[in-house]
Amino acid sequence: MKKKFGSKLFLGLLMLFFYLPIIYMMVFSFNGSKSLSKFTGFSLRWYEQMFANKSMIEAIYYTVVIAILATVISTVVGTLASIGLSKSRKVLKTYVEQVNNLPIMNPEIVTAIGLMLFFTTMKIEKGFMTLLLAHIAFCIPYVMLSVTPRLRRLDPNLADAAMDLGAKPSYALRRIIIPQLMPGIVAGALIAFTMSFDDFIISYFVSGNGIKNISILVYTMSKRINPSINALSTIIVVIITIVLVAVNLLSMKKAKTNKVAQRVGLVALASCVGLTIFGLQKLRSNSGGNFDPIDAYGCDTLNVFNTGEYIGEDTISKFEQKYNVHVNYSLFASNEEMYTKLLSGESYDVLVPSDYMIEQLLQEDRLQKINRKNITNFDNLSPLVKGLAYDPKNEYSIPYFWGSVGIMYDKTKVSQEDLEQDGYAILKNPKYKGRIFVYDSERDSFMIALKNLGYSMNTSNLNEINEAYEWLRGLRANDPVFVTDEVIDGMINGEKDIAVVYSGDATYIQMENPNMAYYEPKEGTNIWSDAMVVPKNSACPLLAETFIDFNLGEKIAYENSEYVGYTSSVQKVIDKLQAGEFEGLSSYIPRSGYDKDEIFNYNPKIRKVISELWVKVKAK
Amino acid sequence: MKKIIQFKNIVKSFDEQIILKGITLDIYENEFVTLLGPSGCGKTTLLRILGGFLDADSGEVIFDNEDIAKLPPYKRELNTVFQKYALFPHMNIFDNIAFGLKIKKMSDDVIRQKVTRMLKLVNLEGYEDRKIDQLSGGQQQRIAIARALVNEPKVLLLDEPLGALDLKLRKEMQLELKKIQQEVGITFIYVTHDQEEALTMSDKIVVMREGEIEQVGSPIDIYNEPVNEYVANFIGESNVIDGVMKKDYLVSFDDKDFTCVDHGFKDNEDVDIVIRPEDIEIVGRGRGVLNGKVKSQLFKGVHNEIIVETARGSHVEVTMTIYNKKPIFNEEASEYISANNFYVDVQDFDELTDDDIIARADAQAWDAETEEYVGFSSVTYEELVGENTYPVTFSTSKGTSITIEMIGVKQRYINDEKKRIGIAAFDFFKTLDEIEESQALDTDLKTWADAVSWDLDTDEAIEIRNVDYDFEIEDLVPGTYKVSFSTVGREFKIHTTKSSEVDKNVGLSFDPEAIHVMEKMGF
Amino acid sequence: MNNYKRLIQPYVLWISIFLVLPMLLIVLYAFTVGGNDVLTFNFTLDNFTRFFNDNVFIGVLIDSFRIALVTTILCIFIGYPAAYFISKMNVKSNAFFILLITLPMWINMLVRTYAWVGILSDNGVINNILSFFGLGQLHMIHTEFAIILGMVYNFLPFMILQIHASLTKMDTSLVEASADLGASKFETFKRVIFPLSLPGVISGITLVFLPATSSFFIQRLLGGGTILVGNLIENYFVTTGDWNFGSAISLIMAIIIMISMYLTNRLDKERGED
Repeated sequence: MKKKFGSKLFLGLLMLFFYLPIIYMMVFSFNGSKSLSKFTGFSLRWYEQMFANKSMIEAIYYTVVIAILATVISTVVGTLASIGLSKSRKVLKTYVEQVNNLPIMNPEIVTAIGLMLFFTTMKIEKGFMTLLLAHIAFCIPYVMLSVTPRLRRLDPNLADAAMDLGAKPSYALRRIIIPQLMPGIVAGALIAFTMSFDDFIISYFVSGNGIKNISILVYTMSKRINPSINALSTIIVVIITIVLVAVNLLSMKKAKTNKVAQRVGLVALASCVGLTIFGLQKLRSNSGGNFDPIDAYGCDTLNVFNTGEYIGEDTISKFEQKYNVHVNYSLFASNEEMYTKLLSGESYDVLVPSDYMIEQLLQEDRLQKINRKNITNFDNLSPLVKGLAYDPKNEYSIPYFWGSVGIMYDKTKVSQEDLEQDGYAILKNPKYKGRIFVYDSERDSFMIALKNLGYSMNTSNLNEINEAYEWLRGLRANDPVFVTDEVIDGMINGEKDIAVVYSGDATYIQMENPNMAYYEPKEGTNIWSDAMVVPKNSACPLLAETFIDFNLGEKIAYENSEYVGYTSSVQKVIDKLQAGEFEGLSSYIPRSGYDKDEIFNYNPKIRKVISELWVKVKAK
Repeated sequence: MKKIIQFKNIVKSFDEQIILKGITLDIYENEFVTLLGPSGCGKTTLLRILGGFLDADSGEVIFDNEDIAKLPPYKRELNTVFQKYALFPHMNIFDNIAFGLKIKKMSDDVIRQKVTRMLKLVNLEGYEDRKIDQLSGGQQQRIAIARALVNEPKVLLLDEPLGALDLKLRKEMQLELKKIQQEVGITFIYVTHDQEEALTMSDKIVVMREGEIEQVGSPIDIYNEPVNEYVANFIGESNVIDGVMKKDYLVSFDDKDFTCVDHGFKDNEDVDIVIRPEDIEIVGRGRGVLNGKVKSQLFKGVHNEIIVETARGSHVEVTMTIYNKKPIFNEEASEYISANNFYVDVQDFDELTDDDIIARADAQAWDAETEEYVGFSSVTYEELVGENTYPVTFSTSKGTSITIEMIGVKQRYINDEKKRIGIAAFDFFKTLDEIEESQALDTDLKTWADAVSWDLDTDEAIEIRNVDYDFEIEDLVPGTYKVSFSTVGREFKIHTTKSSEVDKNVGLSFDPEAIHVMEKMGF
Repeated sequence: MNNYKRLIQPYVLWISIFLVLPMLLIVLYAFTVGGNDVLTFNFTLDNFTRFFNDNVFIGVLIDSFRIALVTTILCIFIGYPAAYFISKMNVKSNAFFILLITLPMWINMLVRTYAWVGILSDNGVINNILSFFGLGQLHMIHTEFAIILGMVYNFLPFMILQIHASLTKMDTSLVEASADLGASKFETFKRVIFPLSLPGVISGITLVFLPATSSFFIQRLLGGGTILVGNLIENYFVTTGDWNFGSAISLIMAIIIMISMYLTNRLDKERGED
């Protein structure tokens, strides 16, 4: 009796372990605020947002469509291949079995980069097709793995018997072999669907051009995971639970009704799937006016590539409605990632890179000139961001947001004196050991080290860079946590006392947590600016310029800046927000005219060096 | 001899189904005991209770004067040979056999010695290092026996150990097992559903049925003096006949009296009578105690199995009308159509569907060129009331039609009150072609005449075994013929080295000692 | 049934293109340097010398395998009893628990993992509960503990399902035979049940160890910037764009995994032959 209780307790705890995050996720899908650690009140806003969020609906759509197509194709192909294989010569059998084992016995990331290299080498444009092909490729072996054992148990004379009675091979296959294999086929199809539905790693590497599934969307929601993902997952949990309960209830009925029930179930399932796809299709497609964008711009789809949480909540849908076009809005986590994607042949119409990256793109002749005539709101730009060194005449780039990098600190725990005295070296101050977030960005981290050492952040002197590397290695003694955008939630919740942040994030944090303050050290900092550019291979430059101009409009620019907290490039918006919403927040207006502040230059050699050194800094 | 195992009133049930209904049984030292019965009789359950794999709901299991009902299997001094051997696939032969000895922490050289001796006993010397899957079924079987015996149990339990082997190997292993048992001199408890196995090997057979013991005895006792019909049927082949014990030494069946050696029954008591097939002799007609006709003869190797019918079953006779009618050809539609007149029971009028009518009339229509069947678009007839003749018209969508007669009658059926059997059939019409095309005429005749038979008490269907007719198909001409249908009558199975001919009229002879009278089984 | 032989031909072509060729490309890239163009093939071992001459990279590799190993061991120690207890239950509870374990796999891995951030963080659920009872704070997020927890959480179901399958497939008469031959429950477990369930454990190890070594998002979400080999590969492919070096790292990782899997399988076989 005692023993039984022990095992029950153990299993109970295990289930708690499995379901705690799911329950947590479900609870927070009803959270009133954006926080993922504080429940502030019940609300359905994330459910509303989920349905309003185009990129999420699209991600669901692609996930479902890819999963269904991959399942159907891989089940059919896998089953036929298994049957063929069972009749093949030994050599061929061994070959196929070994190769099938590749995606199963190899780390997924290896399969993923293999496929990525393959698609790039073959110059196959990444997107829906590559994603689908990759999913089919890794699903088939699982289908075969589940069909083959049943095939082995099959009487080898079955097909012969059918043919002896006059059946053609295809008929025998359809009516005799396949029905016998059905349980294996169904199991294989289920595995394939699950694998495809939940796949991240392979999809992450082989997808592109704005095609993303739920996993990629979650991973690239770089600023912070949007709680509407929780809403979506909650809906998935509920649907699956209902389906499973229904299946169990149906199978409990007698064998006679089973056939009917099966049929009813299948029809219901099919219509569910159909409705979902139809509904998503509807949500995805535009319902704009009579305006025909093809007449005006020669195209009706715009591919925008931006960082996560870097645009107003409704900007995209407003643009789509106004111009009756569709926007493929994709996210990148870093300038480098964006560059790599661009290099691997993906085409976009509007990019939002940072200063040094624009310089690089210009040097490599990857951008096209922007027709100033189409930028009617050009004069709205603040003089602070106009004509920066990388593009003095703003021929190729239109500034979007700008700001600085600085130290965010908890006023109640960090003394102003220490800060003034140490500057960036406060990150190494043992007083704050274990109380520090460092932003996981190689460029900004080296900037901090170089500035503290009194060098230029654009140095190409390898000795100075190595000194900075040592400086950063030394930082590790203080147990900093390297984070990207968790820093926002973390600082709002006061998890640490000190953090390296971008000025825009600082603004947002201060709005939520008044204990926090922003400081730009005297050693100087990086004044950066992100601008909108149009790559050479854009298929739709006119629409791209329209989009850029749209974002310079006073109202839209205001909404963008207010939502993300970063400093607008539009002067009137700056003035308005400084006087209103963000009053008294120094971080909203970055320091200007300080001679130790710099803008990043493009230097490909140093970029590689720094990138590798940064990995080493983070490694133990 | 000493009692080694005593089952006392063992009861066991699964899911409210009682598997063992109070088994009481003594087993002695050095016996080869077989638990015999069909699957589901509880024999394996009893063995598993003894092995310790199941707990009895109530009752005692005494082993060596000790109640072991609560003892776990690993503390019981008996070992089991499992149905599919249950050899450990991850160990080689040596480790399998040594398993129990290693558990007992015996020294390595003792283990080696014992294992070698066991392998010798089962004739598999030198197999120590083989893997399980390198052995044949028979070899695995022997290893399983060796693995159990090496522990020197007082009792060895064998759960249908030969079930998975082919016939020849089985026979060999039966002898081998008996030899091993005699050599090691311990009690073997053997579970099987194969009566021949039981008769060959056992010192004592326990016949079980539905959780109860029917009879315990030596193979000879059980064979010669089965206590009831069930045991008689299960052990060997027999003719079991319902009869009446008129008085001591006189039994009667099929309206005839026979002297026998049995006594002690009540006068006029209903009894079961067993006559073993090898106790009956075929003699000339009128020379034996019964007369009959040879129905079949089967060569069975050492003997012939001859079936002789001594009394006819319940029967009914109908008239078959054969007429020479050709299918109708409709040139316009290029279709053929055909159908027969038929009889129908007026009682069935209410439930008669178009499909029934088409089937009973054997109505068919087909395309003249493709010979593919064409469906009927309509079946028309007047309202059905009482015994009468009704014209029925079948027509296809292209307008091809045929009209036949459906004759409503009160069906003739015969109640055989004595045997409590009812039998019925209809007169019917057929064309010559149909008779000639028939591939299985007896079955077709049954279908055409709608011949059925049933038990008057239970209403259950009874097989119509015999279809007799007085024509040869080759010289069939239109006209009327008698066809009779009958159920199985009194048949005797006879094992003899002589042979006979089918349909020959013969006599049967048997001694009074060959008649075994048994009490009717209670239900 | 020979008519079905040709069904395999298109598939052989397919796997040659979509499974074999990509692997060859990784090898090709790993042994070349410079521009991401394969056509200028220039065999070199530079990528490998660069990797093995750098203590930091080797440290990352060791860290990755250490964490994967700890994860795998934990999964065995939690997964085995769980699978064992479940397999001992009646058919209904069996199916129910297996369903409960499979169900979470339908929810996006990243979402489930991200939920742990909220649970483990310094102001998260666990710490809130602890401080409610006045038990002070536990720093969990952004530690190795969090990474391992995330990995165990994600991969444990695979281990349980594999072991459970091998336990339920096992012939119960083997267990009975063992008891019959005098082995106590513990001895039966040690000598019969466990050795026979080893194939399940081995395939469980594969299903846990493989993704644990190559994972990159779990440590990214829970580890506070910890770098493991998966992140290195991601970094060289996505950020730095040095595909050659990235391919070399993947190749090194894949080979080490293959060797360890081979050794694990050998271990099982040897035990069996023992």
